[in-house]
Amino acid sequence: MGTDPLDAGRCRTDQCRSLPRPERGVETNQIALAGIGAAASFAIFQLNIPVWGGIHMNLTGLVGILAGPLLGALIALVVNIFSAALGHGAVGLLGANTLVNASEAIVAYYAFKTLMGMDWDVFPAGASAATVGLSAGAFLMGAIIVISGVNGSALPRGDLTIAVAGLVGLNLGVAVIEGLLTGFIVQFLASVRPDLVGLTDRDAHEEPSEVTA
Amino acid sequence: MTALSNHVPDPRLITAFAERRDGPLHRVNPWTKVGIAGALVLGVTVFDRLALLAALYGGVLVVYGVAGLPYRRLAGWYTLPLLFLVSVAVPLAFLEPGTPVGGALATPVGELSVTWAGLVLFLELSCRSLTVATFALTASMTTKYTHVAYMLGRLLPRPIDQIALLTYRFTFVMLETLEDLVKAALSRGANVSEFWSNKRLYARILGMTMLSAIEQSERLVKSMEARGYDGDITLYGAVSRPPAHELGIVAGSYVAVVGYAVVAGSGVGL
Repeated sequence: MGTDPLDAGRCRTDQCRSLPRPERGVETNQIALAGIGAAASFAIFQLNIPVWGGIHMNLTGLVGILAGPLLGALIALVVNIFSAALGHGAVGLLGANTLVNASEAIVAYYAFKTLMGMDWDVFPAGASAATVGLSAGAFLMGAIIVISGVNGSALPRGDLTIAVAGLVGLNLGVAVIEGLLTGFIVQFLASVRPDLVGLTDRDAHEEPSEVTA
Repeated sequence: MTALSNHVPDPRLITAFAERRDGPLHRVNPWTKVGIAGALVLGVTVFDRLALLAALYGGVLVVYGVAGLPYRRLAGWYTLPLLFLVSVAVPLAFLEPGTPVGGALATPVGELSVTWAGLVLFLELSCRSLTVATFALTASMTTKYTHVAYMLGRLLPRPIDQIALLTYRFTFVMLETLEDLVKAALSRGANVSEFWSNKRLYARILGMTMLSAIEQSERLVKSMEARGYDGDITLYGAVSRPPAHELGIVAGSYVAVVGYAVVAGSGVGL
């Protein structure tokens, strides 16, 4: 990829470079991007998408494609913490949910990078990468339930697998819809800020201005 | 009209309840709420009887009401937890071995019936899920913004606490951005009630939301570094230690749960 999107907000003046760096490993621009990216992902979840009576999406695949594997995983963790605090994620399942969402972001990022490296167009690459990432998350979620078992259930693993298959199937359906939507979003972003998806050098782009409706 | 959902708690409403109301739970120390939440998670994991789980859920519902919070809203917010629950627990209710409830339905793959054990399991899972979800909402709706920010800063390790603090701050900004984008599209005559014929409009709205987030982070990082950000977002609030009687309640909760686990594990009939 031409320029890592994470480098996009890094301070480039000498004055800024002389200021202290906050963390070993995670830099200020990454903290800012992860913080606001998580807020955007959390806000997008509030939107009702009118499919099958209404579904909600975090766009984890898109987050992975734009923020990369490390920040994608951190964003997944923070979004799950806030979701648990608002009752639409379980406090006791925080670890499992984060593992599932982080895997979605990581798989989507590497799938997108691979497909773009194979000269795919932005839409099919974005849609396929997000679908593959979300599908991986759906299978991982099913596997976690089957391996850990369900508290209070006497079902053997085989029958539990059948019971969980419906849930995985439902999530695969949502993965395809969210994947297509992600493809369109990546295509839109590529048309206005190609540097975000690694198509051009960020330095060639003008200073960011306020986004308006 | 499709806009922000009533099935997902709006953080602005949650915060408004925390800031504007003054119920009995608003005066409870935030550390106590965190302690009780931990005891509840442990409790719903350890308790293995429907009556006990139902009593716990009933107790949390009473606490929610005592705090002066709206039950009608809560019913709407249950949609998503229940949807997940139904997709997992309903197949289990059919597959769980045991005596069928009523008759069995003949299907090409064999007889299909909900068993008593399956029904009990469904109710147990419902109580487990809704108990914690309800208490989480109760705690969120009775804890002020500054206290939540302080707790995030204290409970989470670096740099996750910094990211969480920024997320908490910017969630409200991003919600406004998303709402503005939806309103702007609607005012230009867009129809967002059908997804497939408007998929590019949805992509544009959600893409603009993400783009707005990225560009705000680019501006934010410059202001953070210009102010000499050194890895610590300064918080001006503080949460005191819980009073003795609240500590006693928290300790009592853990003793009760651990005591039950020990007694149930030793095989003594309860």
